[in-house]
Amino acid sequence: MAGTGKAHLRGNEALLTVEDLTVEFPAGRKAVVNAVSGISLDVLEGETLGVVGESGCGKSTTGRAIMQLPPPTSGSVIFDGMEMTGLSKEELRRSRTRMQMIFQDPISSLNPRRKVHDIVAEGLSIWHNDSGHSAKQKVHEVLEAVGLDPETVADRRPHQFSGGQCQRICIARALVLDPKVIICDEPVSALDVSVQAQILNLLEDMKERYGLTLVFIAHDLAVVKNVSDRVIVMYLGKICEVAAPDNLYSHPAHPYTDVLLASIPEPDPQQPVPERQIAGELPSPINPPSGCRFRTRCEKAQEICSTEEPTLREISTNHYVACHFPNETPTKVINTF
Amino acid sequence: MQPDQRLLEVTDLKTHFDTPRGILKAVDGVSFSLNKGETLGIVGESGSGKSVLVRSIMNILTSNAIVPQSSKVRFEGKDVSQLNKAEAKHFWGTQMAMVFQDPMTSLNPVKKIGVQITESVRFHLHASKQEALQRAMDLMVQVGIPEPRKRLSEYPHQLSGGMRQRVTIAIALACNPKLLIADEPTTALDVTVQKQILDLLASLQEELDMAMILITHDLGVVAGRTQRIGVMYAGKMVETADTSTLFANMHHPYTEALFKSIPRVDNESHTRLDAISGRPPDMARELVGCRFAPRCRYAQNRCISEEPELLEASAPNHQQACFYPVGSAHNQQAAAANQQAGITAAGLDLTAAAVS
Repeated sequence: MAGTGKAHLRGNEALLTVEDLTVEFPAGRKAVVNAVSGISLDVLEGETLGVVGESGCGKSTTGRAIMQLPPPTSGSVIFDGMEMTGLSKEELRRSRTRMQMIFQDPISSLNPRRKVHDIVAEGLSIWHNDSGHSAKQKVHEVLEAVGLDPETVADRRPHQFSGGQCQRICIARALVLDPKVIICDEPVSALDVSVQAQILNLLEDMKERYGLTLVFIAHDLAVVKNVSDRVIVMYLGKICEVAAPDNLYSHPAHPYTDVLLASIPEPDPQQPVPERQIAGELPSPINPPSGCRFRTRCEKAQEICSTEEPTLREISTNHYVACHFPNETPTKVINTF
Repeated sequence: MQPDQRLLEVTDLKTHFDTPRGILKAVDGVSFSLNKGETLGIVGESGSGKSVLVRSIMNILTSNAIVPQSSKVRFEGKDVSQLNKAEAKHFWGTQMAMVFQDPMTSLNPVKKIGVQITESVRFHLHASKQEALQRAMDLMVQVGIPEPRKRLSEYPHQLSGGMRQRVTIAIALACNPKLLIADEPTTALDVTVQKQILDLLASLQEELDMAMILITHDLGVVAGRTQRIGVMYAGKMVETADTSTLFANMHHPYTEALFKSIPRVDNESHTRLDAISGRPPDMARELVGCRFAPRCRYAQNRCISEEPELLEASAPNHQQACFYPVGSAHNQQAAAANQQAGITAAGLDLTAAAVS
């Protein structure tokens, strides 16, 4: 298997530790989709972990498996010292207040028939059996925090808001129970650039104000770089590379990270469009390539890549890569063409 | 530029829609021209009218659309609304063709790829079945689809997103159009696939000497791929210029704000983004003054009452619609006045602008 290994884990300091997470879905006739295959990751308290990759790389499945939605096929998820995978339904339900999620499409993730106040207050009324004055105060506080005017929005319904405002409501709903961790699954990809910037700034502010720990899943490399303290690059259910964002983007070590960065269209006409493009198509996760999963599209692939799966190893401080032939002399990607 | 180089000329194009909420002015007086072989990028956010603009040019509007007589679209000097029935039948799709955003919905799911490619060749060019099939094979090779013979007898769902978009490009190219309109051709695709498709479009354009209009919301996509750019906001063209001029010298505050709000890979992580406060206006309402004024940090009294026209800016071929263009002395005065007041003439609170 390509990209397993735990060299990048940071031990007991982590708030959330995921080890050997595997998620498989049945695909009929005994076939299985290997959505996520034995990945490990951890998140420190107060950190933002960015998970980046293209469609089908398993990034959303990873986020959902951490939430136990659905529980992973195997592997462990330890949150704040508690193993989440073996929990009973009721125990799991109780633990959920401390871990919340924000989804991609803000409009479809809000119930169109309910008022904003009720949507945001629902968690409180379930958990604290609280629908009175203090609940109202808490709802007002979080609505205000996300930049909405509580007096005017509380009695409206989601269809009266734009996409960006709906995402603010979703963030308020996630914040109301004072969670420790929020898993953001492509929170800005359905939004326009100008609104995207508003939401990204807001998430940074909320993180500061409420002391949150974030897992930020997205396909946009620039967005992930902007918010993250550590970035994981995924490909076909495996981790390719783990590093601090500035390091990762200036010295990509994995050939996939390299080609991913070269594919970003830069808003600068003076910068020539890189000639390199990715070869071929994404292999099927039902029958992934042996050894390193990226080898079928990799320029550097050798025989060893098909027989032996590379494990994550540290190549410089806090920079881990799962590749037999990582970029040896790291140079800034835009200058290598 | 010689006049015979002109391929497309759009004059005062207005496309309004009759909706239950009133008349929605999706495109409200847009003029531009395009030369043979040129690439024009049209940039704007959702609701700016960029898609409706090209749909109006392609003549594929819904039945509740209203386009007044004064709006003119000329193709090679000919007014396309004056085409007679016989001419019109073989005009759209042959002279001008279009590629859409989502290849899954623009392809017919129950027809084989081969049938969908040969359809237009047979209809427009009256090709025989054999000729059409050969043409389809050539096109598939041209757009870089491996195993073309096998793919011709497959259905859209058997192909990946990138391959499907290649098929729609093949269909658009089938009759050798002089103008290819690509409406967000890569928005539904992954970044590596997006690069493949944009590279393909660029090489095809050069090979076939086509003109192209590339619609996108991503300034990054147009930067490396177009010669000219038009920026749209709320149904209006607010700035047009040569690509290099535009990026070097943005005059319209919206262009500047849009550019600044993009997270850049070159920036350090946790760089605070310059978001644009508020949101675009409701196009079904009567709009007075500059449409960007409520969100603009330079807005003055004049911007609220009077609508700026698209006028020549300092550089040749550069037009902008703003009373206080970025980089001018007027702009600096406006910025200073607003900064001092803490609020713009349109009521935008500059001190709290970062949050909302």
